[in-house]
Order: sequence, then structure tokens, then C-alpha cells
Amino acid sequence: MTDYAAVPRTTEATDAAAVTRVVSQRVSKPAAWWGMIILIASEATLFGAFVGTYYYLRFNTVAWPPDGLPKPDLVAPLILLGVLVLSSLPMQIASRAARAGRLARTRLAIVAALVLQCGYFVYEIHDFRDQLHRFDITRDAYSSIYYTLLGADHGHVLLGILFNFWLLWKLARGFTTYRVNAVQAVTWYWHAVNILTVVVIGTLLSARA
Amino acid sequence: MGVLLLAGCGHTQNALAPKSHQARDIASLFWWMMGGAWIGLGIVVALLLLSWVRRKRSGWGSDTEGDKPGERLGWFVVIGAGIVLPIIVVSTVFIVGDLFVIRTTQAPASTATSLTIRVIGHQWWWETRYPGTDAVTANEIHIPVHRRVRVEVESADVIHSFWAPQLNRKMDAIPGRTNVVELTADVPGHYRGDCAEFCGVQHAHMGLVVVAQPEAAFRRWLARQARPAAAPVSTEAQRGEGLFMNGECSSCHAIRGTDAQGYVGPDLTHVASRNTLGALTVINTPETLAAWIRDSQHFKPGNQMPAFPLGPTRIRELTAYLEGLK
Amino acid sequence: MAIATPPSPAAAETMERLERMWQSRPGVLGWLTTTDHKRIGLLYFWTTLVLFGAGGIEALLIRTQLIAPNQNLVSPSTYDELFTLHGMTMIFFFIIPMTTGAFGNYLLPLMIGARDMAFPRMNALSYWIFLASAIFLYTSLFMGMAPNAGWFDYVPLANRQFNPGSNIDFYCLGIIFNSIASTLTAGQFIVTMFKSRAPGMSFNRMPLFCWAQLAAAFGLLFALPALSADTIFLFLDRNVGTHFFDPSRGGETLLWQHLFWIFGHPEVYILIVPAFGIATSIIPAFTQRRLVAFPLVAIAEILVVFIGFGVWAHHMFATGLPTITLVFFAAATALVVIPSTIQVFAWCMSFVLGLARFKTPLLFIAGFIFMFVTGGLTGIMFVAIPFDQQVTDTYFVVAHFHYIIFGAAVFPIFGGMYYWFPKVTGKLYFELPGQISFWVLFAGTNLLFFPMHIVGLLGMPRRVYTYPSGIGWTAYNLAESIGGYLTLVGILLLLGNLVVSYFRGEPAGPDPWHGPTLEWTISSPPPEYNFAVVPKVTSPYPNWDAADREEDRRHLDEGVLVLQHGHEQPAVTPVDARFAEIVEMPHESPWPVILAFTLSLVFVMLVIHKYGVAGIMGILCLLALVGWHSKEPQES
Ligand code: HEA
Ligand code: HEA
Ligand code: HEC
Ligand code: CUA
Ligand SMILES: [Cu+2]
Repeated sequence: MTDYAAVPRTTEATDAAAVTRVVSQRVSKPAAWWGMIILIASEATLFGAFVGTYYYLRFNTVAWPPDGLPKPDLVAPLILLGVLVLSSLPMQIASRAARAGRLARTRLAIVAALVLQCGYFVYEIHDFRDQLHRFDITRDAYSSIYYTLLGADHGHVLLGILFNFWLLWKLARGFTTYRVNAVQAVTWYWHAVNILTVVVIGTLLSARA
Repeated sequence: MGVLLLAGCGHTQNALAPKSHQARDIASLFWWMMGGAWIGLGIVVALLLLSWVRRKRSGWGSDTEGDKPGERLGWFVVIGAGIVLPIIVVSTVFIVGDLFVIRTTQAPASTATSLTIRVIGHQWWWETRYPGTDAVTANEIHIPVHRRVRVEVESADVIHSFWAPQLNRKMDAIPGRTNVVELTADVPGHYRGDCAEFCGVQHAHMGLVVVAQPEAAFRRWLARQARPAAAPVSTEAQRGEGLFMNGECSSCHAIRGTDAQGYVGPDLTHVASRNTLGALTVINTPETLAAWIRDSQHFKPGNQMPAFPLGPTRIRELTAYLEGLK
Repeated sequence: MAIATPPSPAAAETMERLERMWQSRPGVLGWLTTTDHKRIGLLYFWTTLVLFGAGGIEALLIRTQLIAPNQNLVSPSTYDELFTLHGMTMIFFFIIPMTTGAFGNYLLPLMIGARDMAFPRMNALSYWIFLASAIFLYTSLFMGMAPNAGWFDYVPLANRQFNPGSNIDFYCLGIIFNSIASTLTAGQFIVTMFKSRAPGMSFNRMPLFCWAQLAAAFGLLFALPALSADTIFLFLDRNVGTHFFDPSRGGETLLWQHLFWIFGHPEVYILIVPAFGIATSIIPAFTQRRLVAFPLVAIAEILVVFIGFGVWAHHMFATGLPTITLVFFAAATALVVIPSTIQVFAWCMSFVLGLARFKTPLLFIAGFIFMFVTGGLTGIMFVAIPFDQQVTDTYFVVAHFHYIIFGAAVFPIFGGMYYWFPKVTGKLYFELPGQISFWVLFAGTNLLFFPMHIVGLLGMPRRVYTYPSGIGWTAYNLAESIGGYLTLVGILLLLGNLVVSYFRGEPAGPDPWHGPTLEWTISSPPPEYNFAVVPKVTSPYPNWDAADREEDRRHLDEGVLVLQHGHEQPAVTPVDARFAEIVEMPHESPWPVILAFTLSLVFVMLVIHKYGVAGIMGILCLLALVGWHSKEPQES
């Protein structure tokens, strides 16, 4: 403990080189990462409650989806889901590039991720409104949980998109440890949202079975 | 009006004065557990008293830096009394309560009983039907003694809970579900009960009474309840019937054998045969009946029946009619 | 022993420099923008105390209404609002924020040797949101629209059809609002305990108080979302027209109950675990002995919350679920007893094996053990399903949980108020009045809650605004009400004692009890920077490790491990607490108040059904978040 002089002081790092040094000296994850993990844990539990509700309602009902309702589409959601999940890749690249102090690469990766995410989001919102025309959220318990799950998931995607725009804006002024931590945390957020989306879409598509 | 407020009908709803083998099993389960609980509490209090005897009166004394006197003894007690003993105690409670006693309080198999009653909770009264007969009544549930009765508990609006503690455990009345509980009274008597799940402003006045009668008396009672209403005899009562049928009363109440088919309030076909009004809120006498019609909100504020500030003659006529519905 | 007094002129200079560096703004503005965990802890303390008063007044109104049969002191509908608000206030707005927000906030960093929480601004945010949610809920009372369907708010009674007013909208939104605050607190407690312990304080050296807070924080984090989901569904059912709980459209009435109790049962252990933590702080101090079976107790604190997630249906024994389900949950309930008995006997044996000094705090802990065991034993009785089905929803259950909650959660809070009073104020409280306040409270609460067992067995259902005479309930209810007033007297004595002591008490010095943990190594009240040097920790009772404290003083003298380049604090590796990083802590920020304010606007708009405006306010919240993150630590 006496050799604490070797311990990195996070806040000294305001340029790419210093950032890389701090990051490489680090022996554990930054608090920002822990904060994000906590957020994810809490959100995942919320979705757990939603998904649990879905199956609880389903197994207390005879016809699922109820008579007169179409089974959910298979192809379009799966393709879209693929697009969204793919965005985890550029996010991961961004996170690594940031820790390596490579600013341009980080920005580019985030932009690439954003393209995929926004594409997904715009199509999904369009589709969401389309479906609402076909059957309303107030129709029955199935439509209630269907739209609640889907809407909650879209909300999380939107938040992630906002996070990414915010990151780009922050990174416009170069690197600090703070921003690198932020990239790392947002990357984890996206991984979590993508997993949640897989679970949500999987749950909704299970009505086909 | 204080006199009118029901003095519990003179009955208790004491879970520890059981009048059926189910309630008796539960009560003796309780007495055993309570005995055990006093012993458990005794052990803990004894330890606290022991420490009080050994207490240090003043000063902070020497430090116990690092050394932990008697730690082994401590672990021994923590494991013995804190793990082993509770496992034994709790397993006993579990085995006796949840593997044995529970059998007596479980819903009876539909083949095991020869009489079924449907009890439907309403805000804030109990509709009671005897399937297979036309009998419909409210709040007063007659059963024959010594016979296993299957009670199907349902709800017409919110969740209620059907409970006659001297006879059996309680059973929730949940919309969209039918729950079943058994009633078997060992001795004739009036057994008071209550709605036990909060169900709105008059949850406090949603009493019920189970009347256990000898078989013959029960049959006589049931046969009478199944009959349509008696036609009014006196002219006053006849005018009362007219008021009832043409006024609002019939939109909420049913009187079998007449045009009144409402389903908001209790069936009044034999209302005069009941001991109480408003789910054990007031004792049923001609005066209280009149007062109830004029202003039931006075006795049971917030209940679903509006006040009818009718003139004294009309009230008298209505009362005369209803009093004839024995 | 303590480094409350600087060991040398050089050290004095260091401490002065730290003092200046960490000083917060004076006046109201200082309190509004503070991020100091001690100030936030105090804010929490005062707010929750006032709310305890509100919940207590509601309780006494209930007791006055029930003092005799057939009374009409309050109208039936007012009575419903009273007990609903009483339950909600006591659980969501008193115990949880008091034990975590107030005690946890003030003490956690002090016990783990940190200068602040891991996320100081988030901590402030949590307080302001909490305050706003309390104001939000109580506005409903003054508008005559307080929640009125009981604290567990069963549907369909709570749904629009049977409850058309705004009462239940206040319930849903108030609870979601409050959960946000609790989640923030829980989250940052966890990170603080993982990242901000003093280097060297590996998990096996973390004081039991912190273990308890950790267990509670994890409990909150994973329990609250179920409640949020439930209240969101209810809000949608009521205001959008969904059918989650409507059996006629494929919904399920019991869904509400499952989700509520999936939250609700863990919640009751979350209530109690921090109180266990307080007990395990006071017992070693007043027996001057390290707690018996420390590792077992630490594990038990975590286990009680963990197992608590698997027992929820024991609140639904009378709903007619299949017997096999009931038996499963009864077995789980039987299991959850074990961690509690472990702890009870560890405490008792510490009492016996140490040399107990029955000062006021320890008296409260002894009273707590007595009442916890009484309440716990009735809890065990509920394991016998038929018995539970007999007494559920009667005053027997009310007796069970008040014994456990008042006896076992509130008594330690009172004990803790006495125990840490010298630390927080620098003054000693008066001992004799303290002991008297204990005995009055002990007598009062037992008189208040014991007869409830009997009256419950005599068949009295809960949540009745009045009851008939002549069925044997009258005398017991009278006794309960008298006990209620006596409890009030006891609480006033306690608070009076503390107020007088604050002005008249003797100076306490840094360490009046020879306490075991790090907060007793520093002056009373603690300086704003908490620790002048990063303390050395080699056991869970660092203040009793004289050699380590000596080393701290030497470090201070030499200026080693002082961290004085700003608001610095060490961060460690999560498990073994190796020194990993020096981080700069944020300091004073207006953003928490601003964000909490914009968030309140969202909730206000939701409750008056202006969803569009609520959306706009939501955007304001996001902007506030951007503002919050605009300034980075190195720029301050
Ligand atoms: C602080 C909160 C708290 C705590 C810690 C507990 C602890 C326990 N509770 Fe309680 N409970 C509530 C708060 C709490 N409860 C509330 C608020 C309600 C009602 C909610 C409502 O309906 O509004 C409730 C209701 C409730 C019910 C539902 C009752 C009903 O509505 O029908 C049940 C059923 O199983 C139950 C069981 C238990 C058990 C088994 C424990 C156990 O954890 C207790 C363990 C403790 C001990 C066992 C004490 C130690 C004893 C000894 C050391 C002596 C030796 C013992 C032996 C040898 C066995 N509780
Ligand atoms: C933490 C939990 C907690 C606490 C501490 C209490 C404390 C008390 N409770 Fe309650 N209670 C509940 C949780 C709690 N309760 C819950 C969850 C319910 C179920 C609700 C429901 O059914 O939905 C309930 C229900 C309940 C009922 C049943 C109502 C019914 O079913 O109809 C009753 C009846 O007597 C009651 C009474 C009391 C009394 C007299 C106290 C007393 O001990 C209170 C004493 C406190 C005071 C007297 C306050 C004094 C404080 C001050 C004066 C501070 C002043 C300071 C400043 C202003 C700075 N409570
Ligand atoms: C809006 C519906 C409504 C109307 C109209 C109405 N009632 Fe009722 N009545 C009720 C309800 C509901 C109850 C049950 C109240 C309770 O116990 O909570 C009740 C109860 C009663 C009872 C007591 C029955 C019992 O066994 O407890 C009597 C008698 C009665 N009504 C008579 C009348 C008469 C006479 C009229 C017409 C003047 C009338 N009611 C009009 C709804 C109505
Ligand atoms: Cu019906 Cu309470
Ligand atoms: Cu529980």
C-alpha cells in the first residue's frame, strides 16, 4: 500500500496518450462501469417482470393470441433484430478503440453503430404504429402486454441512441478518462439492450408456437 | 340508534372456540405452536437476563482487543440453537401443519359432499344460493349439522373473503374464479363470520352468519326459502307491493314470483325471515326495516342502496309488504 | 487513539488544507447543492422523521377511531385513506429511507473509510427525488384524493371501475417516483461498497453494518422493478384502458398480487436488514467484544434477503391457489427462518460472552431482540398453512408485522439514534432520560401490539373502520389505543432528550463508547473530508486495532496517503480491496435539484393526465442530464 504513488490518478488524463496510460495501469473496472451494471441489472429485472407477466397471462388463457388476432410476423422482426444485434460489434470496436486512445476510430465506430440503430428504430416505430391500426392496445390482455413489452424495448433503444449522440458530442472535444469510461459504459448498455431485445422479440414471437 | 347497531347478534367469531373438526384442528395446532413459541421466547429472554446478571456496571473496562472469549461456546450455541433447533422446530410445524392438518381444511372432493352452496360476495353483502333449488338468500347461510357442505365462493365485483372462524379457515372470493371451502358444523348454533379482505368503504359491515340446524329443520327452512314470495294480504301491503314494483326498488332487488328481477341488491323474497339487515348491520324489526328503507346510508354509509326519503305512509306500506315476505 | 486531534503541527496544517478544500458553501444554497453524504444523510433523517410523525399521527387517528366500538370520529372513506397512507408512509417513506437514506448515507462512508459515496451527485439526486415523491403523495391527502385501497392495493378494488377518482393514480405514480429514489440509493450503495472501501478492507473485513446495507441494497435493486411493473400495469389499466387485471378480457386478478408480493416480501426483509446492521454495530461496542460467529452472521444477512425472494405466495394462502403451490411456499418460508435464528443467537451469545453495559442503545437492542423474536415466532406459525388461512387478514397478522416492524426495525433505529448521536452532534445525550424513554416505549409498544394477537384470534378482521360491541373486542382495542398514546409519549421523550442534549449535553469527544468501527477514529462531528489519511484496515473492528491507528497518525505526520490534490478518494478492486485508482469526486452541484424538479413536473403532469406535457417535461429531464454531465471532474 505504501507504493501508492504508482496508483493512477484518473483525472490527470486529458489527452489520448495519458488516457491510454491510465487505462493500461488500471487493475479494475471504473465506477462508471459499475454504475452502468447497476442500471442494467435494474432494467433487466423490470423486463423480467414484464416477460414473466407475458407468460403468466399466456398460460392462464386458452387462445394465445386471442381469437381474431393474427400471429405476429416472423421474418421482418427477425431481420431487424439481426440488424440491431449487429450494432454490438461497432460498439465493442468503439470501446476498444477508446481505451487504446484512437479517437477517429472510436467516432467512426459509434457512427456506424448509430446508422444500424437508427435504421432499426425508424422501421420499428413505423411498424409499431402500423400494428396499432390493426389491433389496439385496449383490445385485450394480449395486446396490452404485447405493446407494453415492445414499447418499453423501443424506449430503451431510443435512450441508447441518445447516449450515442451524446458520446459523439463529447468526443468532439477529444479524449479524457471520463469520456473513455463513458464509451465503455454505453457499450455495455448497448450489449444489454440488444440482449433484452432478443428476449423481448423472442417472447413475442413465441405466440406463434 | 345505537341500540340498533348489532351487538354481534349475541354470537362470537372466536377462532379458538371451534365448532367443527377443521376449526378444532386449527385451534389445537395454534395452542401447540403457542406453547412452543413461549419456550423459544423463554430461551432468548433467559440469555438476555444472563447477560444482564453478568453486566458491567461502569467504565469501559479492559479492552478485548482481538481475543474473543468463549468464541467456541458461542459458535456451538449459534449452530445448535440457531440452526439445528429451528430446523427441527420448523420441520415439525411444516409436517404437522402442511402435510396433515391441511388435509382437513382443503377443499372437499366434489364427490365427498352431498350439499353445495354458492356464496357470492357483493359490495357489501353475501348472496347465497342453493343449487338445485330456487332458494336465494343473503348473509344468512343455513346448513345442516354433521353434514359436509361444499361452499363455492365467488365474487360479483371485487375481492372479498368468506370466513366463519368457528367452522373453518377463510377463503377469498375472487372475480373470475370459483374457490371451494368446506363447512361442517358439529353442533347446532349461530356462527358469526365476516368478510376478511378489504373490499371498499363498507368492508367493516359485511358480516355473515352461518346457522347450523338439525337436518329436519334445515330441510323445512330450505323448502320455504325455495318458494316464491307470499302475496300481500292487507291492502296496506298490497299498496306497498305496488310501490315496490313501480318504484326503483325492483330495479335493484328481486322478489321471486313477482316482476321484480333486479340483481344489484339482495334477493328479498323472504327478507322478513332474516334476522338482520345490511349484512349484520342492524337487527331486522319492522322499525329498523322502515328506517333502513328511509335511510340505509345512516346505518351503513356508502353502501350501494340510496336513501329513499319517502313519506311516512309510503314507508309504512313498503314495510308492511316486506314484513309479509316471511 | 483517534486522529481527531492532529498529532503534529504538520498534520494540523494538512488537516486545515483538507478542511478548506472540502468546505461546502454556507447557507441554504449549500444544502441545496450539497453532495456531502453526511449532509444528505441528515436531510434524509429530518425528512423521514417528519414523515414518521405523519404516519404516526395517522396511526393514532386509527387507534382513536377504534378506541371504542361503533365510533364515528372519521368517516369510513377517510379511515381507508388513513390506513393506506399509514402503511405506505411507514414502509416507503419512513423505514426504507431512514435506514438506508439516513443511517446508511451518514455512516457507510465513515465505516468503510471513504470520503464520500461513489456517486455523490446521484446520492443528492436520490434525496431530492425522495423529498419530491413524499410531497407528491401528501398533496393527494390535502386534495382529498389519498390512496384508499390499502398499502397492497389489490385489484379490482383499485381499478378504475371501483375506484374512479385520482386516489390510485397517486398511489401508482407516488410509488414509482419513490422507487426511483430508492433504486438510486441502492445502486450507489452497492458501487460504493464495491469500489470505495479503504484499501485493505477486503470483504471479510467489512463491518457487519455494511454487509447489512449491501444486502438491503441488492434487495431493493431486484425487488423494486416488480413493483414498478405492477404499478405501471395498473396505471395503464386505469388510464389507457389496457386489460392486465381484467379477467373478462384475458387478464388476471391474481397477477397483481403475485407481482406485488414478489416485491413485497423481499421488501419486508429489506426493512429489517439494516436494522440488523445497526444492532451488530451497537452490540460489539457495548459488550466490548467482537461479535460471535461473524462470518455466519454476514452470510445470514445476505441469505435472509436472498431466500426472501422465494416466499412471496405466503401472503396469498387464502386465495385458493393449488395446495401444492402453497406447500412449496410454506417450505420456503420455513427455510427463511434459519438466517434469522442464526443472527438472534449470535447477538444473544455476544451479550452473554461479552460484558454488557446496559446503556440506552443496548437497551433498545435488547428490546429489539425480544420483539423480533416475538414477531418472528408468530411468523413461524404462518408456516402452518391452515393456521395462516385462519388468521390472515385479521389483527393477528397486524400484530405479527408491527412486532417485527416496530420492535425490530424501529427499535434499532431509536437505539442507533442514541448510539451515533455523539458522533453526529459532538454531544453526549442524557443517560437516565434515555433509559426512561426506552422503558416507556417498550411498555407502550407491547401494550399497543400484544392485544392485537388476541383480538385477531377472536375474529377481528383488519381494515375495519369500526366494529360491533358485544363480541369481546372492546377491551383489547381500548388497551391497544392506550398503548398507542404511550408509544407517542415514549417517542416524544426520546426526541426531547436528544433535542435538550444537543443544546445542553456534555462534549462527547471522538470516541465515547470505545466503538469498534472507523467512524469513531475521527472527530465528532466528523470533518467534511471524513478521513485525513486513508485509514489502514486489517480487521472488521479497525478502531480496536491500536497499531493500525498508530500507523495512520504516522502517515498523517509524514503526509503519506493524504490525497490532497483535490477532492480525491481511493478506489479499490471490488473483492480484495487493493488500491486501484485515485479518483476525483464531484463536489457541489445544482443539477440534482434541477433534475429532481423536472422529474416532479413529469409526475404532476401524469397525475392530471396531461401526457403530452409530461413528455415535454421528460425532454427537460434529459436536458438536465446533459447539463449534469457537461462538466467533467478534471475541469472543476
Ligand atoms: C420487517 C418486516 C418483517 C419481517 C422480518 C418478517 C419476518 C417473517 N414473516 Fe412477516 N410480515 C411482515 C413483515 C415482516 N415479516 C409484514 C409487513 C406482513 C404483512 C403484510 C400485510 O399483509 O400488510 C407480514 C406477513 C407475513 C405473512 C403473511 C401473513 C398473512 O397475511 O396471512 C407470513 C406468512 O408466512 C409471514 C411470515 C414471516 C416469517 C416466517 C418471518 C421470519 O423471517 C421470522 C424469522 C424470525 C424468527 C424466527 C425469530 C427468531 C426466533 C428465535 C431465535 C427463537 C427460537 C426459534 C426457534 C427455535 C424456531 N409474514
Ligand atoms: C414501519 C412500519 C409501521 C410502523 C412503525 C407502524 C406503527 C404503528 N401502527 Fe401500523 N401499519 C403498518 C406499518 C407500520 N405501522 C402497515 C404496513 C399497515 C398495514 C396498512 C394496510 O392495511 O394497508 C399498518 C396498519 C396498522 C393498523 C391496522 C389498521 C387496519 O387494519 O384497520 C393499526 C391499527 O391500530 C396500526 C397502528 C399503528 C400504531 C398505533 C403505530 C405506532 O407505533 C406509531 C407510533 C408513532 C408515532 C406516535 C409518531 C411519533 C413521531 C413523532 C411525533 C415525530 C415528530 C417529529 C417531527 C415532527 C420532527 N397500523
Ligand atoms: C340502487 C340499487 C337499490 C335500490 C334502488 C334499492 N335497493 Fe335495497 N339494497 C340495495 C343493496 C346494494 C343492498 C345491500 C346493502 C348492503 O348490505 O350493503 C340493499 C339492501 C336492502 C335491504 C336489506 C336486505 C338484507 O337482507 O340485508 C332491504 C330490505 C332493501 N334493500 C329494500 C329496498 C327497498 C324497499 C327499496 C325501494 C324503496 C330498495 N331497497 C331500493 C340496492 C338497492
Ligand atoms: Cu367484502 Cu371485505
Ligand atoms: Cu412475507
